Amino acid sequence: MTNTFKVKVNGGPELAVDATEGTLLEALEKHQLEMNYHCRSGFCGACRSTLKSGKVRYTTEPLAYVRKGDILPCCCVPESDLDLDH
Amino acid sequence: MSYSTFNQEQNNPLTEPMFLGNSVNVARYDQQKHSIFEKLIEKQISFFWRPEEIDVSRDRIDFDKLTASEKHVFISNLKYQTLLDSIQGRSPNIALLPIVSLPELETWIETWSFFETIHSRSYTHILRNLFSDPSEVFEDIVINEQIKIRANDISQYYDDLIFYTQLLQTHGEGDVVIDGETHTITKREIKKKLFLCINSVNALEAIRFYVSFACTFAFAERELMEGNAKIIKLIARDENVHLTSTQHILNLWQYGEDDPEMKEIAEELRDEAYEIFMTAVKQEKQWAHYLFKDGSMIGLNESMLCQYVEYIANLRMQAIGFDAPFENQRSNPLPWMNKYLVSDNVQVAPQESEITSYLVGQIDSEVNASDLGDFDL
Ligand code: FES
Ligand SMILES: [Fe+2]
Ligand SMILES: [Fe+2]
Repeated sequence: MTNTFKVKVNGGPELAVDATEGTLLEALEKHQLEMNYHCRSGFCGACRSTLKSGKVRYTTEPLAYVRKGDILPCCCVPESDLDLDH
Repeated sequence: MSYSTFNQEQNNPLTEPMFLGNSVNVARYDQQKHSIFEKLIEKQISFFWRPEEIDVSRDRIDFDKLTASEKHVFISNLKYQTLLDSIQGRSPNIALLPIVSLPELETWIETWSFFETIHSRSYTHILRNLFSDPSEVFEDIVINEQIKIRANDISQYYDDLIFYTQLLQTHGEGDVVIDGETHTITKREIKKKLFLCINSVNALEAIRFYVSFACTFAFAERELMEGNAKIIKLIARDENVHLTSTQHILNLWQYGEDDPEMKEIAEELRDEAYEIFMTAVKQEKQWAHYLFKDGSMIGLNESMLCQYVEYIANLRMQAIGFDAPFENQRSNPLPWMNKYLVSDNVQVAPQESEITSYLVGQIDSEVNASDLGDFDL
């Protein structure tokens, strides 16, 4: 089973993200995307993004309210290919 | 209807709404309707800090080197934050505890307010170090027109809710005449006031602090007033936890996950809630204007601050279900802010996260007489 998934952000190109290497936020930063964040640990909600398709898994339980269709990239990893708006 | 400190009626807190159901009797957390609030209590307590532990002594030397307009920025922001925490240290307790119905939420409110009192004490800690007598600064808070406008806007929603709750709890529902004015008291009316109040508090903690935070961290970027920055970093971290709690309350109502009547009210008063936020945005921009009336500071000016207010308002408003109102301000105009807003238990590259004198007790406080210039020691 592969751990690498394709992640599309704001309709941009597909980026390869290895789910075993850090959070989704860190992975997207490595791809030079400018990401919104404050706490980087799931309680402030500043990194909130819309998940248009795909599935993520939380590595830390988020304390910020996660509205339907939203994800918090600072505390999750991809479980499938993803299409996001950030 | 009158409040009882130990409601003897047997009730089931799992079926109570967050507010305006039965008052809480047993403080029990073995079963919880909204367990998020206990998680926030734990998070907040894990962030406990004491102002006295932070060495701000070097700030006095830095302060002396600031220009007159920079001093105005620094002191005005401290006054404004003092106002905000004066309100927040008492108001959630006074306004929300008499009407809360869940033990975990009651305890969250008490924890939240307690941390605001730490913030208040930290301002005295900062000011005592800068001035042998800081009373002039404190006294100006109730005189300064710029501060008063904001004080009024923030406290009115709390005051209104408190007053109507008092009437409900002394007279019950119905018309009450006070000083010739008739007040129609219904639970629904009070729920509306509660909704507006929570929106106002949410906007306060979402954006009202951030102009001030930005100035503090802009000084720290120049390695100035770093003791103060260290304190503000801890305050900012707490504020993000508080903000999350009111976002939870608003979203639980909106999604109908709590009181169905509050869901209706959230829909009915959506425009008013939006206006509360936009008014706060406007006032913060005016505050940026007031701060820089005599000149800007290195690395920051009025227009950058206003852009930052719009940027952060977008994030905060989306968190409670509004569309981002400032479409052309989607990227962060002050990217260096983020390194001060990262929570400490997360490791980022040390050179990015460190304020020079960050660690408590590890500050190099070496100061020699010449540094102190003409201070009297
Ligand atoms: S950065 Fe705070 S929740 Fe993700
Ligand atoms: Fe505070
Ligand atoms: Fe707060």
